[in-house]
Amino acid sequence: MDLNSIAIAGIPNCGKTTLFNELTGSRQKVGNWPGVTVERVEGSISFMGKKVTLIDLPGTNNLSPDTEDQKIAERVIRQQEHDLIINVVDASNLSRNLYLTLDLLARTPHVVVFLNMMDMAEQEGMRVDQAEIEKVLGVRVIPVISVDPRSVKNALSELEKHLEEDTEFLHDRETASSFIGLSAEKAYKKIDDICKQVISYSTKENESLTDRVDKIVMNKFASIPIFFVSMFLTFWLAIGVGSIFIDFFDILAGLVFVDIPTHLLEMIGSPEWLTVFVAGGIGAGIQTVATFIPVVFFMFLTIAILEDVGYMARIGVIADRVMRRIGLPGSAFIPMVVGFGCTVPAVMSARTLGSKRDRYMTIFMAPFMSCGARLPVYALFCAALFGKSSGLVVFLIYLSGLFMAILTGLLLKNSLFKGSVSHFVMDLPLYHKPKASNILKSAWIRLKLFVKKAGVVVVIAVCILGVLSSMGLEDGKLTFGNEDSQESVLAYAGKALGPVFEPMGVSEENWPASVALFTGLFAKEAIVGTVNALYSAMDMAETGAIEEEEEGGLDIGGAVVEAFTTVGEGFIGIISSLDILGVGLISEDSEVIAEEIESDTAVFRHIARNFTPMSAFAYLLFVLMYFPCLAVVGAARQEMGGFYTFILVAYTTILAWSVSTLFYQIAEGHHLVYGVISAGVLGLLYLALVLIGKREHDMKSVPDAPDKSSCCG
Amino acid sequence: MSAEINLSEIPKGGRFIISGFENPGSEYSEKLMKMGFVEGTVVERTGADINDPMVFSLRHSRVALRKKEARVILVKESD
Repeated sequence: MDLNSIAIAGIPNCGKTTLFNELTGSRQKVGNWPGVTVERVEGSISFMGKKVTLIDLPGTNNLSPDTEDQKIAERVIRQQEHDLIINVVDASNLSRNLYLTLDLLARTPHVVVFLNMMDMAEQEGMRVDQAEIEKVLGVRVIPVISVDPRSVKNALSELEKHLEEDTEFLHDRETASSFIGLSAEKAYKKIDDICKQVISYSTKENESLTDRVDKIVMNKFASIPIFFVSMFLTFWLAIGVGSIFIDFFDILAGLVFVDIPTHLLEMIGSPEWLTVFVAGGIGAGIQTVATFIPVVFFMFLTIAILEDVGYMARIGVIADRVMRRIGLPGSAFIPMVVGFGCTVPAVMSARTLGSKRDRYMTIFMAPFMSCGARLPVYALFCAALFGKSSGLVVFLIYLSGLFMAILTGLLLKNSLFKGSVSHFVMDLPLYHKPKASNILKSAWIRLKLFVKKAGVVVVIAVCILGVLSSMGLEDGKLTFGNEDSQESVLAYAGKALGPVFEPMGVSEENWPASVALFTGLFAKEAIVGTVNALYSAMDMAETGAIEEEEEGGLDIGGAVVEAFTTVGEGFIGIISSLDILGVGLISEDSEVIAEEIESDTAVFRHIARNFTPMSAFAYLLFVLMYFPCLAVVGAARQEMGGFYTFILVAYTTILAWSVSTLFYQIAEGHHLVYGVISAGVLGLLYLALVLIGKREHDMKSVPDAPDKSSCCG
Repeated sequence: MSAEINLSEIPKGGRFIISGFENPGSEYSEKLMKMGFVEGTVVERTGADINDPMVFSLRHSRVALRKKEARVILVKESD
């Protein structure tokens, strides 16, 4: 056998991905399957003295094409893209695992079984006889502990040894042929017989650990409080701890990718447009991506912990009671939780859901969960206008987001994503002790994929906007260096778009607020920066103060020190105030806030002058809902393709505009025409979704429901 | 032989044997069968659930099902 590629197959939670991560480390890349949007992950290992490709198949219970994941696994196996399959089998859940094993043996000639989690089986009071499995299945079985690097290495060298001895490496054909085309019933009958032969039961302990934990965690009364505590800790880690490092990454990336290139380019006397493009475009783009890294990493980390321990599946069960009303399974709640941290990983984690309809619907709902980047915007405006009740107002905005998500779910259920409600069948894995190296590795690998995929979109977009904000027309001549001034192309565009935002309470003189919505396309926290810069510029123009530019050249040492200081300050802050959700940003003292978000009181004055409390709330509602930032658009495109991503962008933006306008006109504007228009737009939006839904028929999920007969009609 | 009831009706801690499906051959029951819900399998309601969804233990694994959806599985008392 000429061995060039090995596929790893197994059911969900069998330890397959852990094994894959352990084997390939960081030598992984993501490729797209031709014709399908879901990715496959590949890595390379050195095996039998040469480089061999390792393909990580999605975890699947079987190979029937019910879900996207199973389709992929089935396809690889059918097209024989691999030369050998490593089938990872969880010994503590043998019969469910063997169902896939029998199918694999029947379909493909070269299989080896890696018997994993023998320790978990023993904990559950079972002893699995490895030699006996080899005998009854006629296939090589190698024991492995996937979380232990040494054990994985040993298993691999044992496999090498077997392959050297037996170059054909075929499993017993006669046994395998008896597995071909078995019905589920017959297959499980066979499996029951096999299990009787290979499992011996030790004196069964009274109650397994998992059952004991579940009795508490899934208790009718305790489950909800426990759920909220776990969510709180998740937020604390992801947003609280993760955000400590945002400034660190921002400053360092700014130094390396913006300041140093600017300096170097100026030194060699390059033309201004080139500097703008390289530093203000590409450099600033990389800087924007870098600021996401800490929060996204910590979010991935907490998700990995919840998954690794086994609690994530329980969250799905507890949330099902609410989610089913929207027509989604409880497991769709998991991406929503992630969305409070950052919408990008939320969109990506929707991938675990069974049907395409469920996945898309979840992606449409996730952007309404207000992410960490939007909080500074709320904080600034609330501090300027709402004083003591800031906390309440911010809470109201979060609540509005939740409400809009549910509304979106109900709306889509009856329009774009019609089709029957999918079922909820959720495997609950045994609780595991989490392993730090494992979790870190999983979070690191996910982060890398995120940076690669979302990074490209962000960098390109920042390039374009960066150039636009710098470019200006002066006496018919193209000039650069107009950032945050009234002369840039972006400022003109903001003014030109004034009439669009006027109905929601942003007057034409308040053009900085419109321009800020532009920069918010990159990342919503950019709104704060733009508003700051533009209002301060306005203030200076009014008061006639001369701006004292600190153009002290390049200070690398200073920037590095500053970067590390922010981390230290962050830790002190989080420990001293236990400011877990960043709620400390919302305080009554406007001077304190001004310093926290590097704004100044002049900006507060301008906000208070240009907005009324009601128009500010309308503006914040718009910020909450409109265009999910570019990174999210990148992620959504990767998951749903261009068509649905376009609908998502249009839907969120139109909804944002009409809801904000409606709110403002009812609360304060009392302009009948605007009110009627916005209500009309909402109606048209719904109609459009219904019409598109009629045209797109590929959304129908599994058509049967338990109480309905399954028929095509 | 004892009477058949729906899986959704069994009490916490109850141990029953699967005897069939309400609408055999439907896509959903096929899916459940592939997950190990086949005739003759012993199913236990673990007692660790919030009533709906219900959690069942079978073949050394735990599976959560909605009450309404667990109804399609018919069970009889184990002897």
